[in-house]
Amino acid sequence: MNPLPKRKPNWRPYLWLLPSILLISVFVIFPILIVFRLSFSEISKAGVVGGFIGFQNYIDAVNLPAFPTVMMNTFWWVLSVVGLSTLLGFIIALVLNQKFRGRKIARSILIFPWATSLVIQASVWNYIIKYEYGNLNSVLLNLGIIKEAINWRSSYQIEFVWECAVGIFVTIPFVAFCVLSGLQSIDESLYESATVDGAGFWDKLFNITVPLVRPALSVSTVLNIIYVFNSFPIVYTMTKGAPANKTDTMITYLYMLSFYDRKKGPANALSVIGFLILCLCAGIYMISVMRKEEAL
Amino acid sequence: MRKISSVPAAAQSEKLPEIRIPLLLFFTGLLISCILMSLPLYRFQAAVYTKKSSNTFVGDEKYVEVLAEVEEEAQRFRDQGMDVKIQETVTERVNSKGETTSLITFTINQEYEKNVWSFLTSKLASSLIAKIMAACMLLSVLCLAAGCAGSLQIPLRKLSAGKKTLRSLSALFLLADLILVPVFILCNNVIFWRRLRLFQDGQLENGREAFFAALDDFLFDGKMGSQIESALKSLSAHHSALLWVLALCFFLAMLGAVQLRFGTVKNTLLRGLLYAFIAVVCVITLYPYYVMLVTAFRSNAETLDMYFLHLLPTRWLWSNLKDIVSRGVPRYLMNSFLIAGGATLLAMLCGIPAAFAMARMNFRGKKFFLGFVIVSQMFSPVVLLIGIAQLMNTLHLNDTLWGLVFINAAFNQAFAVWLLRGTFVAISPEMEQAAKIDGCSTMQSLIRILLPMAAPGIVTTLIFVFINAWNEYTISTVLISTAQNRPITVGITQFSSFNMIEWQYLFAASLLATIPVVILFMMIEKHLTSGLTSGGVKG
Repeated sequence: MNPLPKRKPNWRPYLWLLPSILLISVFVIFPILIVFRLSFSEISKAGVVGGFIGFQNYIDAVNLPAFPTVMMNTFWWVLSVVGLSTLLGFIIALVLNQKFRGRKIARSILIFPWATSLVIQASVWNYIIKYEYGNLNSVLLNLGIIKEAINWRSSYQIEFVWECAVGIFVTIPFVAFCVLSGLQSIDESLYESATVDGAGFWDKLFNITVPLVRPALSVSTVLNIIYVFNSFPIVYTMTKGAPANKTDTMITYLYMLSFYDRKKGPANALSVIGFLILCLCAGIYMISVMRKEEAL
Repeated sequence: MRKISSVPAAAQSEKLPEIRIPLLLFFTGLLISCILMSLPLYRFQAAVYTKKSSNTFVGDEKYVEVLAEVEEEAQRFRDQGMDVKIQETVTERVNSKGETTSLITFTINQEYEKNVWSFLTSKLASSLIAKIMAACMLLSVLCLAAGCAGSLQIPLRKLSAGKKTLRSLSALFLLADLILVPVFILCNNVIFWRRLRLFQDGQLENGREAFFAALDDFLFDGKMGSQIESALKSLSAHHSALLWVLALCFFLAMLGAVQLRFGTVKNTLLRGLLYAFIAVVCVITLYPYYVMLVTAFRSNAETLDMYFLHLLPTRWLWSNLKDIVSRGVPRYLMNSFLIAGGATLLAMLCGIPAAFAMARMNFRGKKFFLGFVIVSQMFSPVVLLIGIAQLMNTLHLNDTLWGLVFINAAFNQAFAVWLLRGTFVAISPEMEQAAKIDGCSTMQSLIRILLPMAAPGIVTTLIFVFINAWNEYTISTVLISTAQNRPITVGITQFSSFNMIEWQYLFAASLLATIPVVILFMMIEKHLTSGLTSGGVKG
């Protein structure tokens, strides 16, 4: 029995941490190291790892014909999905925070897309927007809203927009629930006293709600950037990057490079580039979390 | 009696409710809607006679000749008491020699105009909607009359509950009318366009006779008889845009009723807007699930046919479920369950001690471990795909369920530790300290005291990790190559090959994969909201 464990040199806490550290080290840290090593090695098409070749893989990766398109796509993908889902999620959270009948049901329904596997969501939307037999055309025709079937995916740009839309659709619940948890911690009396002082709806929104929800919003935004950047099933299921990598994002392109085109070297280099971009986001996230910890 | 006598006194002291404007709104709205419904808003056109004349130019000899012929024909129709119009279309073409030729088509069209009331007595499907609409209007007036009778001068707060309910009902009936207007339009679209075409193309047989008889009755007073099919060949239906104004009229009347009930319209409208917004969001959210559900029970032909008639399957094919069972879906579900269950167990076994140490012990490097955990959370396995594949090769875990168990546990470890720590910190350590004084070891106090108290947080974490592992797709596609070992997310892709996708099987399997996790997620939704910003997680 030792009520004051600080006095002895204490190794016990580390023992408690050990399984967790082991698990993360082997299955998260180790692959990171492998990817780093491979990105500087020569790899044959069959996957045989050769010697150190410096930055050759990186040069190859940047010189791939699809590289600029893929990077632009990734940029637009992250920007549009994160931006719009944050905006819409914020609005929906504001509405869900009101008291109304059926709020529980509405919240349960809203969480559906979050609970569903992305590959399933993407498959369903893939079916919905088919030209020849898609359900969207069918419903609109049946309801008499349109007179002729519309080709919802007439060009790859439009297909990419659809992919972004599905991305936004599945991301909204996450943002909405993050913001909601922030909203629920706001003290009601703040609004009451603001009302007494004669503040209008917009005053309250921008001077009370937004500043107080900002921590929750920043955490959800940074996490979202990371998750959306890493999102694979939507693009892969809906277009597989076709035509000619024009709708690929970095992650799907990486997958294609590595497992279809057998260009493991450049693929690893791309992995590291993606990893570094994520590190940047992780750093921002860490700082914001640490600040929050200090504030508590 | 006393109550009644006290009314004038109260009315004097309190502001009287404004009644002129709402009553005006209510009755003008309804009056205009009645007028609109009596107007011939639906126009039908059917060609009864067609004459084509080639090499004819407007105004030349042949034209005059043919026109006279057509006029004569039209006169014969008019003699029969039909209202016909002659329509001519000119088609000009330049032939190979460079000469212009022209073809004039004369059609004798019969036009029918119908108002909304005439749908009431028809045998068409939309007559039911028309009937409900009329009934709602009538009920609304009756409710308002009953709700206002003898109480128009009473301040709203003093109204009896019964009168308030009656006035609310009046507004609700008008809301129903408002919603029924588009339904009516849509129903007629389906009847006069989709259904008619499908019956004529022979794509649908059931109820064909009854449908044509109803149309004959409605359009031709039953005079067409056996000729009805040819008479309907060229039928076209148009409705005037004024029909939509009907909805506006109902809305105005509803505003009147709302104001009579609440005294002010603004709050009620905002409330209505709130519900409308929620309804739209919910409908959009549920739409893909609706598609998944109905497509899962359609026949293959129906999934590939845009012109199926109903929003629901014509026949619910439960055999689809039987078919996917024989194609390995139970096995995939079992694999998913094993992977997700194993990953959850492992994540908890490693995560609970770590979270306990973080919450209850002081040691050097605590902050470092926290950082380590958060950083590991930053990386989805996808960006490390190649490294993971390589690692699994080395460990001989490639193409095994164990490999996926480890990966899912490791990548959810951060979240598990983070959320569990939050739960543990929120529980006061006093009970454990008391137990220790009574001679419990740290392990015993953890198992016997802390864990039961932290049960809600633990269950939330458990379910969340389970769902993440269940829904994981990317790593599984890379690591699993044997069909036997596929989890359900990968298993469903076997129904979509390059040239053919069996949508009904794809969605039937998806449905089975989705239902359990959605239910689980709904269970933890409440706890998730509180743990979210501190944990910072997403699936």
